[in-house]
Amino acid sequence: MDHFREPVKADCEELLGRFQATESVRYEQFVQIWKDMDFSSIFHGKPELNERRRFARLILSVVSPYFLPPYTFQIRVGGLYLLYGLFNTQLATPREKIRIALKDWNDVTQFQKDAVNAQHYDVVYVFRKLLSDKAFYFTAMPTPLNFRIKREDGKRRKICEEFVDPPSRPQELVTTDVLEEIANIHEHYEGLKKATFTEPDPNLDIVQQNLVPKLNSTILTYCNWQINHTKSEQQDAGEGPSNQEASKSRRHRQTELVSEAAPDISQKVSSKKKRFPSLKTRTQLRFKTQGKSCPPR
Amino acid sequence: MAKCSTLMSEQKQHENVPVYEFMDVNSKEFHVGTFRDLWLDVLNPEVYSYSDTASEIEDVGFIEEMGIEPKTLEELKSICRDTVDRHEVYANEMEMISVGKKPDNLRDLIPEGEIILTFNIMYPILFQRFKHVRAYQTLQVLGSQKLSDLRDAICCVSDLQVFGEFSNNPDMVPQFISKDHYKSAFFFFNGTFFNDTRFPECQDISTTTQEWARTRDFPEFKTAKMEDTSFYDLKMKVGFPYLYTHQGDCEHVVILTDVRLVHRDDCLDIKLYPLITHKHRVVTRKCSVCHLYISRWITTNDAFAPTEPCLFCDQCFRMFHYDDEGNKLGDFLAYAYVDPGTFN
Repeated sequence: MDHFREPVKADCEELLGRFQATESVRYEQFVQIWKDMDFSSIFHGKPELNERRRFARLILSVVSPYFLPPYTFQIRVGGLYLLYGLFNTQLATPREKIRIALKDWNDVTQFQKDAVNAQHYDVVYVFRKLLSDKAFYFTAMPTPLNFRIKREDGKRRKICEEFVDPPSRPQELVTTDVLEEIANIHEHYEGLKKATFTEPDPNLDIVQQNLVPKLNSTILTYCNWQINHTKSEQQDAGEGPSNQEASKSRRHRQTELVSEAAPDISQKVSSKKKRFPSLKTRTQLRFKTQGKSCPPR
Repeated sequence: MAKCSTLMSEQKQHENVPVYEFMDVNSKEFHVGTFRDLWLDVLNPEVYSYSDTASEIEDVGFIEEMGIEPKTLEELKSICRDTVDRHEVYANEMEMISVGKKPDNLRDLIPEGEIILTFNIMYPILFQRFKHVRAYQTLQVLGSQKLSDLRDAICCVSDLQVFGEFSNNPDMVPQFISKDHYKSAFFFFNGTFFNDTRFPECQDISTTTQEWARTRDFPEFKTAKMEDTSFYDLKMKVGFPYLYTHQGDCEHVVILTDVRLVHRDDCLDIKLYPLITHKHRVVTRKCSVCHLYISRWITTNDAFAPTEPCLFCDQCFRMFHYDDEGNKLGDFLAYAYVDPGTFN
């Protein structure tokens, strides 16, 4: 069953990628993509009864990480909707549950609070519905562990870069508070130097004079470089700047159903580089070639 | 002082949130009872209760909390309903016989907020065929149950062995089995040996290991009683191998695979726990003569037998080795054989 993990992950990332392209967190958008891809047929591949439960367990455990950090808010919403869809369309009875570990519960409650504050009622409603349908197992660890040591070629844990905010470590390190503090200390230091020596000695100028403005401008340049770099890499709109205010307003924007977005999506999807073709695409390709090789009657 | 104690309790709580020690392999150790309290602290009791809140009450609650209009909720419901197809198919799997079972007597209902622990007990390596696939059985226990309950539920064929040579008196196979004779057993979890001390015949068979460990560079091991310890009192690592020993030297590797809160769809009858949810089936060995019946005798030093040792079912054994009056023919040694597939 484990050999299904890679293809299932690819299909889910395909769906989430399309959802990300809509730049919206509305459930209607998600359902549209789901119906287009006919995603519930993912469960029809394994008709045997005992295999259905194992497959449901596998796909739920593959999708659960998308509901948690470090993914962006929009991807997490997509993950929640995807879990909702999979939970309700699975073929196993009684239904296979979604596992949440204790260590991740804080992130889940924070996510719900963010959704409430931004008035994304459909997100909140879907989550509440899952809770009231008793869709969750409250567990110690995200998956059952059996001390499997020999595994892992690193592919399992790979995080899709496009679904995560671009790294913002420099910005987190050098915030306005930090800059203020450094400016204060700098002033203090200069003051002490002047008090000790009546004549300013050029040999004592060890620290750069305009340290704080320089730091500020370096960070801003890096920020701008990041924006331009990501814009040139991705032709469709990704999350862009890591600047918290700007991205938040973009994420929480209430977009109406834009009908012209639909034909754009397929174009943007095809222009994404390194996208593993989905199950649907691969099946179509295979059948097209088979059809050609059949002799005409 | 008060500040210090709140800090300490916060730290204690933080330590008991299970995290990975090695990614995807096992977790760090945590106290099971505290883990349960942590979950119950953060969850609304409705979330883990067995009953469903009436949908009208839920709707009213949602409207009030979100501060929205009732018609907004109606809109939400119509958009977010299950617009995708659902197939209701009954999956009748063997392991799922007990799922959702409610007890007849309400006193036997598992209380809400109880913890279920899932253990994989490996069969001891005795057979060649287990080199490729590690056979195991899966047992689910409740947090409030004692370790001795788990011990009683483990089925191992070595418990059923009957000792003694019976070629001279095949009809006098005694009724007692090893399980009744050798009652000592222990669990080894996280540096503590939990011994079974319920019966006077039980000895502390872990003392040998402890004395040996003292002569080497091992940390000091502790001892405790199996029947006095419930699973809530334990500190365990999820996914980490532990040990169960019985019959003196029959050792089983025990892995705790999952710890979670009980769910409405679980088996809720407390009398059925510990519950077996998975068991590896073993092919039974048939009699060498008829190849039909499961063997119950094993002979050695047998001049009549084609192999050494050789398996026989009861009828073939008697026909082969005894005449009509019941006299022993030839020279052989016969022992009672219990097939590992007895538990299938």
